[in-house]
Amino acid sequence: MTDAIAPGLLPEGLADRLPPKAEASARLVRDVLDTVASHGYRRVMPALAEFEETLVTRLQSAGAEDLLRAVDPVSQRTLAIRPDMTAQVGRIAATRMAATPRPLRLCYGGPVMKLRADQLRPERERMQVGAEIIGSDSVAAAVEIVNVAIEALQRAGVKGLTIDFTLPDLVPTLAAGPMPVAPLDVEAVRARLDAKDAGSLVELGATAQPYLALIEATGQFHPAMDRLEAFNAGPAQGALTETIEALRAIARPIGWDITLTLDPTERHGFKFQSWFGFSIFAEGFIGEIGRGGSYSVARTDGTSEPAMGFSLYPDPLIDAGFGDEAGKRLFLPIGYDAERANALRAEGWITIAALSPTDDGKALGCDATLEGKGVVPL
Amino acid sequence: MSRPIIFAIPKGRVLDEALPLLRQAGIEPEAEFFAKESRALRFATNVEGLSIIRVRAFDVATFVAHGAAQIGIVGSDVIAEFGYSELYAPVDLAIGHCRLSVAEPADAQPEELSQASHVRVATKYPHLTRAYYERQGIQAECVKLNGAMELAPSLGLSRRIVDLVSSGATLKANGLVETATIMEISARLIVNRAAMKMRAAELVPMVERFRAAVETSRVA
Repeated sequence: MTDAIAPGLLPEGLADRLPPKAEASARLVRDVLDTVASHGYRRVMPALAEFEETLVTRLQSAGAEDLLRAVDPVSQRTLAIRPDMTAQVGRIAATRMAATPRPLRLCYGGPVMKLRADQLRPERERMQVGAEIIGSDSVAAAVEIVNVAIEALQRAGVKGLTIDFTLPDLVPTLAAGPMPVAPLDVEAVRARLDAKDAGSLVELGATAQPYLALIEATGQFHPAMDRLEAFNAGPAQGALTETIEALRAIARPIGWDITLTLDPTERHGFKFQSWFGFSIFAEGFIGEIGRGGSYSVARTDGTSEPAMGFSLYPDPLIDAGFGDEAGKRLFLPIGYDAERANALRAEGWITIAALSPTDDGKALGCDATLEGKGVVPL
Repeated sequence: MSRPIIFAIPKGRVLDEALPLLRQAGIEPEAEFFAKESRALRFATNVEGLSIIRVRAFDVATFVAHGAAQIGIVGSDVIAEFGYSELYAPVDLAIGHCRLSVAEPADAQPEELSQASHVRVATKYPHLTRAYYERQGIQAECVKLNGAMELAPSLGLSRRIVDLVSSGATLKANGLVETATIMEISARLIVNRAAMKMRAAELVPMVERFRAAVETSRVA
């Protein structure tokens, strides 16, 4: 016999969001979507669950073992809840919207679910909101995506933004070119660079040694770029010239109020991106609240097309207290002046109308009450 | 930004070796830090906005991984045992050298490990121990202990232990011999991944001072 489940208990990693956090979350998502919509990104609402098979083939960020799955009693196939909406947007672009002219700009927002969480990020359900350009991964597309992401967050009132640039395919590119590493070791070099683990990188031997300089080319954007340029002139033998120019072009229009950093070997969350990636950090929460970059979308005919986009996961920021706005609440007693109440709502008041004579405005959290046409503080 | 930076340092042996490096990197803890009888856990330094906390080695990694401390010093054994994704280990401080080893009673009957499908091990490092045996196709059942591992074989808790070995004197005193080395260990400077970016202006130069300090002491 298992014990009865206490009425309030939820499965591990799942939580109800209450006021004012639920409101703050909805407001942030709305502000972000409104901003990207004003830049021409059209809204899509992918299905909450789909066939595991089609989801997994498109998911480069997660494997089948990361999905919450169940057998569908109707189709007798395995269904999976989406762990990420980017892959779904890719599917929509490659199938239903395959004939829509490119570049195709799409945006989305909704909850996603993963099977397991870790100690540092214990939540299994998260809100994801983002925008994608399908059909281009050019520098121009990167400039647009990065700046739209910044604009959206600033409009939502997020402060203290740090944008960290990375070059997701840097190590394989160098390993296949001017800085050869045995194919079996490439993954180890990448992982140790990702962990900035200087000690164990050196243990990989002489071919890995020159990569050490990439750990030092990390930090504030301009000094780090100077080091990356020195690295390019040295062991990389000019293989990064074009990339460095592109990074500078992407950084140029970004406002002074944004902290820019470079970490060329960052791979947290960049399993599938190609030449460019970025992470977004915000004051109030240790850890990224979003990331983006270039990648490719597989088409049904076996070819692929380039894409660029960003996704935000704003939950931890909300949990840290961001956006807890207390609106002014006005109590409307029985028989109140409806026209006056309308006018006050238009001024920004939140009204709480009495449903019975015993309703108590103060207990319901009101700051003031309507008496005749006058607002009287409680 | 005036939020403090917290530097987490492990209690014990590594501390003594770390102090000269801290000094070379320009960090001097307040006098209270050296007072044996002090029960304080958080100490000021000569660097404005930089505090030191003194915690257990395993907790150094946890504090830094969660971003409660931004920077710290800890052995590579602890980093590997936790495998926290949020830890950077940018500098090998080349101090606190030791190794993680398997030890067994000196008088034990030799055992053909290749025929075993299962071993029982007392250790503070269940993750590393399991991974080590799994690589050899053996399942390891780990009895998690927090200290005095050396007692386990003689009291019948497990035949072998996996623990840190530096001189081997403790093993010898308890009638144990080292039978295999799992990994070589040294202390590393660790930094919280997000802090390294969000506070790059303060942390990156600090990391560089440690890198330089290690270079200097290597040459010396």
